[in-house]
Amino acid sequence: MKILVTCKRVPDPDQKIRLQADSREIDSENLPYILNPFDAIAVEESLRIRETHGEPVEIVAIGIGVEECDKTLRTALAMGADRAVLIPWDSFLDPWNVSGILEKIIQRENPSLVLMGKQAVDGDSNQTGQMLAARLGWAQATFASRIEFQSGGKLKVERETDSGIETLGLNLPAIITADLRLNEPRYASLPSIMKARKKPIERIETSELGWAPDPKVEIINMSMPQTSRKKVRLTDISDLVARIKEALKTN
Amino acid sequence: MQNKSKNFDVIVIGGGVAGLSTALQLGRRGVKTLVVDRGALGSGSTGRAAGLLGQLRGSIAATSMLMDGVKIVQDLEAQCQCEIFVQTGSLRIAETTERAGEIRDLVAMGKSIQFPIETLDAKQVAELLPYMKTDDLLDACYCPTDGHLQPAELTSAYIKAGRQAGVEYKTNCRVDSILNEKGKITGVQTEQGISHSPIVVNAAGPWSYLTAGSGDVILPTASIGHYYLTTRPDPEQTVDRKSPAVRDRHHRIYSRPESGGLIVGMYEAEPVEYDMERLPDDFDMSLMKVARDDFNAALLIHAAQQRFPWINERTPMTLTTGIMTFTPDGKPFCGKMDNLEGLFHCTGFSGHGIVQSPVVGVIMADLILDGSTKYDIEAMEADRYYELPGFQTRSEIKSKCAAMYGSYYGRVERPEILSDSE
Repeated sequence: MKILVTCKRVPDPDQKIRLQADSREIDSENLPYILNPFDAIAVEESLRIRETHGEPVEIVAIGIGVEECDKTLRTALAMGADRAVLIPWDSFLDPWNVSGILEKIIQRENPSLVLMGKQAVDGDSNQTGQMLAARLGWAQATFASRIEFQSGGKLKVERETDSGIETLGLNLPAIITADLRLNEPRYASLPSIMKARKKPIERIETSELGWAPDPKVEIINMSMPQTSRKKVRLTDISDLVARIKEALKTN
Repeated sequence: MQNKSKNFDVIVIGGGVAGLSTALQLGRRGVKTLVVDRGALGSGSTGRAAGLLGQLRGSIAATSMLMDGVKIVQDLEAQCQCEIFVQTGSLRIAETTERAGEIRDLVAMGKSIQFPIETLDAKQVAELLPYMKTDDLLDACYCPTDGHLQPAELTSAYIKAGRQAGVEYKTNCRVDSILNEKGKITGVQTEQGISHSPIVVNAAGPWSYLTAGSGDVILPTASIGHYYLTTRPDPEQTVDRKSPAVRDRHHRIYSRPESGGLIVGMYEAEPVEYDMERLPDDFDMSLMKVARDDFNAALLIHAAQQRFPWINERTPMTLTTGIMTFTPDGKPFCGKMDNLEGLFHCTGFSGHGIVQSPVVGVIMADLILDGSTKYDIEAMEADRYYELPGFQTRSEIKSKCAAMYGSYYGRVERPEILSDSE
């Protein structure tokens, strides 16, 4: 079985983000980038499937973006993915276009399962997985918190909804997007990091894939959230209690 | 206060434990003191520290300072009604004959100054630490009065007691340079204006060489990355909160209990080095993150697994990295140099800032107000590399400090007093 895992390079969400002068892009200077945390969960899940699946499993990590995505893919390889593919692209892509490139890659790679983060923590769109499933006409399960292989190429997936856990049965091929509680990603082991240095990262141009951009969404403006909070130094606990009571009353 | 100058007796640059403790002791002695920090108080190395307290050091001077530090902490605990010192006891273990020799020396040294220390065999160690691999141990020693200081609790106690003593704190205010006229300190230039004082304490930790440099003073410290992991509580692998800290110098690791899990840290041979001037102005150490394929993290996990076989790369855990301030000999710089009157340094704690800070505050206040202290500070005098060839350029300094970090657990130690007596 072949599993394809998407790996997006995103700014570390815990860092302070600054905008460029035109407010259409974030200022990437000095900004540490990481593998999208939800994609790391998807990578981890693919590794666990390989560890427990009866048959051999090949895991292919896919990146779309600037040359530095190389490093992001290297993270996935160090965690245990077998090989990686980078589709070079150096400007903004909306989810429709990302899913378009992925569709072409999937037609080329023929995986039975695509694991993705439920969303990337930079754009927070939560659309690419759904759009990809629609393009391919594949089964999909979003916000997965548990994946179980069953006999006859079937999958049982538990997904987290606002009102509880929903259990779905899926036929392969399928798209699954990972939620936070699916697993806790591993750190790469020393031998695995060394091995990853020799694993191939193939580069495929969009022209080779026969794909041309079809922009649907344009970023017009970004603005920083207002974070200034009012702080008051309290004198004692009774003061605190009084203020909490006051706050409860007004809300 | 913005854009207006204000006068203080002493301005302390850096609100980590070194600066906070110094300010507290100055405040207690009636000195009008301001602590300025580029971020939040305790947000630098202090906030990333493990706080292990092993009191028995290679010299009597260093040992008695740490023992006095415990008393200062106990007073702070009483004043602030908090628990800072967790007395877990500590263990040094040896799996090679060289390391066993190190332990024999340490026990002899401890006994010679009536420091509580005893030798344990592998079976006794296994009883103390059921979650540790012990079948390969040749020797071990146990110091029941050791433990760790909880960095966050210590920091807030310094601030609470400092406020009571009249210390003022200014946060999120970067100091751009120290100011002097004719070789005498006049204050600091911050991003929010000038503050005046005849005395400035450079307690800027990893940034302290830059702070010194802004007054044309060469301070031989380097900023070196350090990693530790904290396992999440696991019902199958309970770590009692009072179980002893461990130092396994052969594997270059230390451990201590933390919130039901275990902290394991490592002094690797080839550390990550940082040039603080190349980090962004608003760099925040508390936001540093370890990548899933970080090489040093993998080294640490591998080393931890040698001693704690249940730890591996899949163990639920948090990896923490921060930046330490190392000096060429691993000893701090406390005091002044002759080239700039009124500038005192209090930095370079080389991974031991938390536990040295209580007594360092007293020493700094002594040095600033009396010009001398009852403590034997020969090993930590700030001018010991002053104009010394080989310690003048950044590249010389960096390589010597990194080598010190790299050999920190790597080398086999001989305590001073034992080698002196031979």
